[in-house]
Amino acid sequence: MTRQAIRVNNVTKRFGGLTAVDDVNLVVDEFSISSIIGPNGAGKTTLFNCVTGFYSPEEGEIEFFDKPVQGLPTHKICDMGIARTYQNIRLFKEMTAIENILVGQHTRMESTWVESILHNPHFIKEEKEAVGKAFELLDFVGLSALADTPAFNLPYGAQRRLELARALASDPVVLMLDEPTAGMNPQETAEMMAFIKELRDSKMITIILIEHDMRVVMGVSEKIAVLDYGRKIAEGNPAEIQSNQRVIKAYLGPSMNGMTNRKKRKKQNDA
Amino acid sequence: MNESLKRGLRLGLIFGIVFIFFMLIGFTTVATSIIGQLVGNVDAQSSSGQLPVSNLIIFTVIMGFLTGISAHKKDLKPNWIHVLLAGLFSGLVTGLMVGGFAWLIGGLDAQGVDFRTYLPNLGVREIQYLIFNVPPQAAALRYILYFVLSSVVGALLIKVLSPGSTVNRAVVTLKKTTVDKLDVGKLKGTLENKYVLVALLVAVGALMYFLPFVWGSYWNYIMGTVAIYILLGLGLNIIVGYSGQLVLGYVAFFAIGAYTFAILTAPEPHAIEMNLWLAVLISMLTSTLAGLLIGLPILNLRGDYLAIVTLGFGEIVRILIKSDLLTALTNGPKGITNVGQPFWRGRLFTDTNYMHLLMLLVLAGLFVAKRLKDSRTGRAWISIREDQTVSQATGVNTFRYKILALLLGAAIAGLAGALFASRNQFTGPEDFTLMVSVNVLCVVIVGGMGSLPGVVLGAFVLKGLPELLRELSDYRLLAFGGLLVAMMILRPNGLWPVSRPKFIKQRLEACKDEPMEVSA
Repeated sequence: MTRQAIRVNNVTKRFGGLTAVDDVNLVVDEFSISSIIGPNGAGKTTLFNCVTGFYSPEEGEIEFFDKPVQGLPTHKICDMGIARTYQNIRLFKEMTAIENILVGQHTRMESTWVESILHNPHFIKEEKEAVGKAFELLDFVGLSALADTPAFNLPYGAQRRLELARALASDPVVLMLDEPTAGMNPQETAEMMAFIKELRDSKMITIILIEHDMRVVMGVSEKIAVLDYGRKIAEGNPAEIQSNQRVIKAYLGPSMNGMTNRKKRKKQNDA
Repeated sequence: MNESLKRGLRLGLIFGIVFIFFMLIGFTTVATSIIGQLVGNVDAQSSSGQLPVSNLIIFTVIMGFLTGISAHKKDLKPNWIHVLLAGLFSGLVTGLMVGGFAWLIGGLDAQGVDFRTYLPNLGVREIQYLIFNVPPQAAALRYILYFVLSSVVGALLIKVLSPGSTVNRAVVTLKKTTVDKLDVGKLKGTLENKYVLVALLVAVGALMYFLPFVWGSYWNYIMGTVAIYILLGLGLNIIVGYSGQLVLGYVAFFAIGAYTFAILTAPEPHAIEMNLWLAVLISMLTSTLAGLLIGLPILNLRGDYLAIVTLGFGEIVRILIKSDLLTALTNGPKGITNVGQPFWRGRLFTDTNYMHLLMLLVLAGLFVAKRLKDSRTGRAWISIREDQTVSQATGVNTFRYKILALLLGAAIAGLAGALFASRNQFTGPEDFTLMVSVNVLCVVIVGGMGSLPGVVLGAFVLKGLPELLRELSDYRLLAFGGLLVAMMILRPNGLWPVSRPKFIKQRLEACKDEPMEVSA
């Protein structure tokens, strides 16, 4: 019997007169990979922000393994086991790669400031373990050689991977990725797809992603939800979504080639 | 050719304006008197109390020299003619400007115009000095001559020393044969040797112990002030440097510490005369409590808003201390005298004892700040500074950590305040003006945000140097401003920027110690 990791019940989020997320229902099964897609401004990131506690929705409930999360501060939600990455990379720029990951482990560590002055055995042991685990994560994303490099000096792809590693450092149960392949070339994108699958299989994590690249979406996700103007217009497995007339009209376009259609769409918008 | 002339003109203009500005604000006189003292050219003082004109000539020549050096430095392809031209031209322009100015003021002065109404630094005597006690026309010519000559010499000297020149090559070869022969790796290895390290520490410790006996009470006072500013800087560094919260009213905690200590130990106005060490602890506690009271409601504010509110807090505390409302408690504007002094071996603390105590506390403060930095707590603080929203979403209880930073900073300020009051045996509301907050903030920023050696260096530069350059005390704010502008351009990350801890080396060493783990 699979459990439900995240349940979004009739959630509405408004910004003044604009309803960014409108009465959305969503269920994410444990250990699944799900995608949220939709045109720009459809409310995908807003929905993410509601789940991770950045915003508090005006209506509806969000449950994490049957426990309500809305209204909780973001650090509590992170502590419960929801970690995320950001659409525009948001690392702690002046800190080195490994320090970013050590901050990621913050919620799984417990030494206090007094202990850090005393350097008692508990502190030393915990610190050593944390550094060891941080190097494991850096190995996992292939960045251990750059451990002591300040985050702002890392190349773009490395920054994306570091952000992912930082999210993983808090031992999340649910990992939410906001456009993980944005700005990547086809090969990097393919690697990221493989990486996401491996992540789920090796660490048994539930993954939710926002993505525009249809090859990624159709390639990795087991379930897809489509948002348009804040409303959920469709939900289902990749095959169902590809043949859904409403989705084709709102987002995919008839030719079923995400990239070109987005370009067409952009041209229409520009015109 | 054309390029050299243009550069010469530009730099000549700049230096001319700077020199005239110095003349107007009277800095020229101060600078020449410093030069006079440096080269011992003071005995020939005239009856009017003025220094010999030769000092002014030295100053002029130095400025001309600088003009020539700068005129050359920017030159991309220096050859002899260009260098000569740039130097000549910049010197000529500066000389013409300054000479013209000297002629103007000299001439107007001869006509009986009194400048002092608007420019207090241009009295008759000063003007006579600035024109070398000769007629204005002659003075103008002399300025032009000095500037042109020194500027050309400066430009040529730089050319001689510039990369690729014979002299420069000789210097580089000399350096290669001497300095580079020193094996740096070996030196480092020696330093890492435990015995050498211990010996070095003992030597430094002995020096720190004996210096206060040797250098006398004046230096003890100055260095004590520097030490108090290091303590304050360490405290504020936790708040501003680590957790990134711009608190501008830091002086409030300093004041509360000083006043708590004074009230608890002075015979007036309350005659509590408590045990001093206990009083120090209570001072720290009171400051911390004040930090909690002000921090709880305002630490949710960010950036500018936090700065403004804390700025107000600092001023409110000072005004409250001074007010009629609290006169019964704090003695109002009169301040509290005869603040308690500790005993050491049956005698009252001497300035040497204070110096030793302050040194110990600075070392302890550095130790605590260093250990806090390289820990879960320190990383949480720095992540808040970098991006508060993401820090919280990464699991850091940002509010709690911000409060913690404020409380620790306030406690250190309370300690510094108690020592300050005890050492001066007096504390009054005017010791705790806004300028103290600004100075401490400057210590942190000039040293390098979050950097501990930076705090020490910053305190020496901002509190020690002004004491050394007493002559310049009138120009402290000018020097301050100039220093800050120069810093922002030359070293935007502070004099001693923070260095991040290195983990790769740590890991490799751990592997070396435990070869089993590598195979596992």
